Amino acid sequence: MSSRLELIGPQGLRTDGRRFNELRNMNCKPSVLSQADGSAYIEQGNTKCLAAVYGPREARTKAQVLHNRANINVEISLAPFSMEERKKRSKSDKRILEIASAVKQTFEPIIMTELYARSQIDIYLQILQFDGGTVQICINAATLAIIDAGIPMKDYVCACSAGCIDDEPVLDLNHLEESNTPELTVALLPKNDKITLLQMESRLHIDKFQQVMEMAAKGCKEIHTVLDKAVRENIKDLLKKSSI
Amino acid sequence: MNTKNIVTPGQRLGFAQDYVAGPGTYVRGNLLYASVVGMKRVSKQTAEGETLVLTVSREKQQSAIPEVCSLVSKVIRITPKEAVVSIMVVDNSPCKEDFQGIIRQQDVRATERDKVKIHESFRPGDIIRAEVISLGDARSYYLSTAKNELGVIYAQSIEGAAMIPISWQEMQCTKTKAIELRKCAKPF
Amino acid sequence: MLHNKSYLKRGRGGKVFKAVKEHYLRDDIWCSVECCTICSHTEPILSSIPAKTKLVTKPHYIIPDTNVFMNQIDIIEHPALQNVIILQTVYEELRHLSLSVYNRLKKMINDPNRKFYVFANEHHRDTFIERIKEESPNDRNDRAIRAAVKWYATHVKQIADKGKSLEIVLLTDDAENIQRAKQDGLLAYSVREYVEGMIDTPELVDMLGNVRISDNKDKKIVYEEHLSASQITNGIKNQTLYQGTLNISMHNYLEGSIQNGDIQITILGRKNLNRAIQGDIVAVQLFPKSEWLRAPTAVIVEEEEEKNLAEELQENCKPKEQSEEADSDLFEAPQPTGKVVGIIKKNWRPYCGFINKQSVKGSSTSTLSENVSVYPIDRRIPRINIRTRQAQNLMGQRILVAIDSWHKDSIFPMGHFVKALGAAGDKLTETEVLLLEHDVPHQEFAQQVLNCLPVEGDLWVVKDEHLQRRADLRHLNVCSIDPPGCTDIDDALHVRQLPNNNYEVGVHIADVTHFVKPNTPLDEEAALRGTTVYLINKRIDMLPGLLGTNLCSLKSKVDRLAFSCIWELSPEAEIVNVTFTKSIISSKESFTYEEAQARIDDQRLQDDLTKGLRVLNDLAKKLRARRMERGALTLASPEVRYKLDFDSQDPIDVEMKELRETNALVEEFMLLANISVAEKIYKKFAASSLLRRHPPPTAFKLDNLNKAISAFGLTLHYETSKALADSLDEAVLPEDPYFNKLLRILTTRCMMQATYFCSGTFSVHEYRHYGLASEIYTHFTSPIRRYSDVIVHRMLAASIYDDEVYGSELIDKKKIEQLCDVLNHRHRMAQMAARSSVELHTNLFFKGKTEQVEGYVTRVLKNGFVVLVQKYGIEGIVYSSDNSKTKLNTTASNSTSLIIYNSHDNSLDSITGDGKKISIKLFDKVIVQVSVDEDLVGGGAGGMRQKLKLELVKPVVPGLSVSNDTSTDNNEIIEENNYNNKKDKRENTNGGRKKKMKIENM
Repeated sequence: MSSRLELIGPQGLRTDGRRFNELRNMNCKPSVLSQADGSAYIEQGNTKCLAAVYGPREARTKAQVLHNRANINVEISLAPFSMEERKKRSKSDKRILEIASAVKQTFEPIIMTELYARSQIDIYLQILQFDGGTVQICINAATLAIIDAGIPMKDYVCACSAGCIDDEPVLDLNHLEESNTPELTVALLPKNDKITLLQMESRLHIDKFQQVMEMAAKGCKEIHTVLDKAVRENIKDLLKKSSI
Repeated sequence: MNTKNIVTPGQRLGFAQDYVAGPGTYVRGNLLYASVVGMKRVSKQTAEGETLVLTVSREKQQSAIPEVCSLVSKVIRITPKEAVVSIMVVDNSPCKEDFQGIIRQQDVRATERDKVKIHESFRPGDIIRAEVISLGDARSYYLSTAKNELGVIYAQSIEGAAMIPISWQEMQCTKTKAIELRKCAKPF
Repeated sequence: MLHNKSYLKRGRGGKVFKAVKEHYLRDDIWCSVECCTICSHTEPILSSIPAKTKLVTKPHYIIPDTNVFMNQIDIIEHPALQNVIILQTVYEELRHLSLSVYNRLKKMINDPNRKFYVFANEHHRDTFIERIKEESPNDRNDRAIRAAVKWYATHVKQIADKGKSLEIVLLTDDAENIQRAKQDGLLAYSVREYVEGMIDTPELVDMLGNVRISDNKDKKIVYEEHLSASQITNGIKNQTLYQGTLNISMHNYLEGSIQNGDIQITILGRKNLNRAIQGDIVAVQLFPKSEWLRAPTAVIVEEEEEKNLAEELQENCKPKEQSEEADSDLFEAPQPTGKVVGIIKKNWRPYCGFINKQSVKGSSTSTLSENVSVYPIDRRIPRINIRTRQAQNLMGQRILVAIDSWHKDSIFPMGHFVKALGAAGDKLTETEVLLLEHDVPHQEFAQQVLNCLPVEGDLWVVKDEHLQRRADLRHLNVCSIDPPGCTDIDDALHVRQLPNNNYEVGVHIADVTHFVKPNTPLDEEAALRGTTVYLINKRIDMLPGLLGTNLCSLKSKVDRLAFSCIWELSPEAEIVNVTFTKSIISSKESFTYEEAQARIDDQRLQDDLTKGLRVLNDLAKKLRARRMERGALTLASPEVRYKLDFDSQDPIDVEMKELRETNALVEEFMLLANISVAEKIYKKFAASSLLRRHPPPTAFKLDNLNKAISAFGLTLHYETSKALADSLDEAVLPEDPYFNKLLRILTTRCMMQATYFCSGTFSVHEYRHYGLASEIYTHFTSPIRRYSDVIVHRMLAASIYDDEVYGSELIDKKKIEQLCDVLNHRHRMAQMAARSSVELHTNLFFKGKTEQVEGYVTRVLKNGFVVLVQKYGIEGIVYSSDNSKTKLNTTASNSTSLIIYNSHDNSLDSITGDGKKISIKLFDKVIVQVSVDEDLVGGGAGGMRQKLKLELVKPVVPGLSVSNDTSTDNNEIIEENNYNNKKDKRENTNGGRKKKMKIENM
């Protein structure tokens, strides 16, 4: 009955040594690219993502122009070396397009697009290394880059995944866990707990759902503190430089 | 420098009735929030009873987006019907990337609109001051120079030398003294 | 919390993959020693006063290394070993090395009495070590183990400073490891040293595994070296090697075969088998075509004399018949043969066996340990050499032994003694043996399992609160029909006429899932057992008796919880409508088949219940007719029932199983319920439904059968089950009424096994159940005795109640798939155990008896033929040359044999004294003499391995037949044969209790 794969050891530790409710180690840094209007680099465990934001600028294709607000364009690419197998992945990969559309939908109500009618905001996300949690890292990286670009937004958007292993809610799944358990990704506005994205592709029992979602929401809050700290440090640096 | 004044998006700044929401802030419910990261500033009170304006100023200057106001642009190409320009500065703030605008034949000047010839008003490379009259169709902004203070502000002659306006319709090359036709802006 | 990240790049199969893994190191991993004041653990596992031994005189904790678990798991399992620390390094290594050991270890960890603590040393900041350059993973792990031992040693010293004295002992059989540990100032012992120090439990020494490090170099090498793992992987990839599960022939323990896709490769001889054991997954290399086999294989009569072994091994091990048979190309295409070049996965398990008396040399009082050889009960397993001090005691007993190693310079594997089971020939011991041999979990239910039962015990009653979400069907005339003496009633029926002349028919199944909740110890135990096993004299329950025979059992005149499947059927038995609901029923009557039949037949009875039975009977007949029309098969197997003496439980008589209309009645509705439920759950769980499929038979086997019956001018068509059913119906020989049944029996053997599967793992057209001619099928109707039905119940509940709670156990494709594998295995084993039980009782029955009976030839071999004796449902081989003669006329020369194998028509021919030719062919009627042949091996009396002996009586073949003393009246036999050769063998969900077992084949 028992499979060779054991996601939670007898000690209550996960395969990588975390406990149920622990996030992976997180590093982030805004303003890493000079070319882009805003940029950020994030690591959540071994998943690494680079985000660049351009705009608001003139829409590239006229068909996308919206008359009352800015159009948000999200493109995600996976570096060929990001996955286990070295492989070039096309940008029109259905999975990637889907994640891109999820990110776009997450940010549309948050960015104050009505200030920039007829323009376009481009968010380019590149996954440099993949170890699970693509959607969450894309959202977190985009948030940081948008803030860095100075595009007005109502609040941070923080995303975090959670799953359920052996009926136990588990936070921030890595790739191994993600491929063996149902995964729920939640993006929320940490200041008022409003959820802007809730995504799940596998089946999870409704009874477990509440717990898993609360776990994910808790993770989002933790991520928010990390992001906020990074933003403040960054601006402090900038101020220091500009004051000199 | 006071780091306490640094605010991040979503941070609550105060009650909406106490302040007027300036750039970098927004109102939700009866509260005022920051929408960008930056320094919180409150305008100096000038008159009794006036509401204070609260702004969050961004450290990074952000690209301007054309709105209905005056702007500076450069002529890219001309056709008998219109001049295509690229917008460089909007209301004194430079655009990071150029926006495309069109000055139609009938928008060049206020009088004798039907007699305007584009090639007698603008040449490619001219820098002009114009204003947005309409956000236009899907493709471009519509600009107009039909005001005295609008029109060419800088142009080069065929020789490549700068020209100075000698009338509202003519400019003279500083080198060859040759006269070329332009719709000039009235210098301030 | 500190962490580090390791980036690994590794090549798998030539391709380079990048693997990124995070590895967090923590400060909050505690030692779990009860009296520790440094760590802040809350629920310590390790006792503060662990045991001490003669060797280690201070109280100490034990840390064994991986190989100790691998080789000495029997010792570790001994309750004398407590306070053991299992390092995560070891734990994880074990998981990769052997799942079975790993699972046994897990069981011990979960047992609070054993005090086994898993220490996550790989995630502990102080005990994690990085692999040094050019260090092998094994060395690194050994070092990690030592590092953890060292940490523990210093840690307990710190505790010890506070007035206690504690030690840590590393157990390892690796001499180098011991030495290095000692250099580090740690206590390290080999398992032998340590166990010898445990003077209170001397039996442990016998249980030591014999891992022999080859020291005697002068010994000649018997077997070829196995290829390395990478060579095997490559070989399989470029198709020079074939992978498959080794299956040793039941008739010949030196002949094995593997099935790889469509081809079957035969492996002949000890040397070619190259230390592979039944069930191992092996890599096989094909021989050139010229060495392929062209003839049916011979039967190795019994284990040959030991002397011959060495000679045999030196020979090239080609089949000896090769030269003679080379010219007979008539025998189809040659069979591929090959040799084992590597074992991919070993399937070693503990084996039941007995000590060969001849191998015991010490005197009866000796307590010195000596080497003895053990014959496993399973003939397919080679002899195992063990070392024991109790040889004298163990003689005449059944014992359990485990294989430890099989070196290339030893003919037989080395093993160790695990435990004694009891005296040979004793019925209890033999039953225990057959349960062990078939891997049937038969221990008493553990306390944790029993704790899951309702606290009220047998006073539990249906209360009003149960009515929630349940239909109250107590007013209906529900009754159950089962075999006599049945206590676990899991189905009941009702019928009533609706105003529109249609009938409402309900099948009510015991609501086991009300009591067995997912992920409880009870559920896990049931999943492990998979099925209730029915032996002749014993039943090994899947669920504790309180549930199986009381609270779940739909007994009459009490309220019981049920899961009901209710159809509206037209008078023509067409389904108008079907609904499913949980319910409460109260059965009005529990009938036996006989009683129900009597009620139907007795026209005087006109009560509602009886009328209902008649309606059901009519509907069932219509359903059945329609099913037959679709092409459902009617198959057969020889079935007998032993009457047991009430006191001694010895078999006193044997009778054929009787089938009545009522059997078919119940069965028909169960089939209907199963199909309806399968459709329902498949709708909800398209990818993870637990279903049952029966693949169509392979042409190969049926072709052989066709060839045999072509002599009678008959053929079987098997393109569809319908065609097969029709041609079986037509295959009747007027002069031999039993022929049709015999043919059905043989056809049944050609069938594939029906199996459980997860709907997501097969494509839709493969769901078909061939035997029942149904597009989709599952098991729903016997949750008390089958775990599959429990899962199906949960799935059905989830399908009909939106608010039903369920977790990944119902939707995880992988979990269902694994479960299917377990269940299929358990069911197969349960069947085989039941069959062995019949065999055991047959032997008991014939003990001291000799009887001549009629039988049919069902298979012709090169040096014998298989006879099925219908009266007793037994099958056995008649050797065309018996033991003594084999020795006289050396096996190789067939010319002197009494009967010559004729490959042209697959028969055995013989010339009698008066020049008449007698030939024995398939389906021939013969008379054989049945007796119990005791103790063919093992030296001397004692009945170590009993076996039925069949000897030919008629036709008379000189030198082979035993004299016909006409003690049996032939007419009588013929008469008996006429008896009930009707239908049998089909998906019969509610036949006789025991009978149910064979239905599982479907």
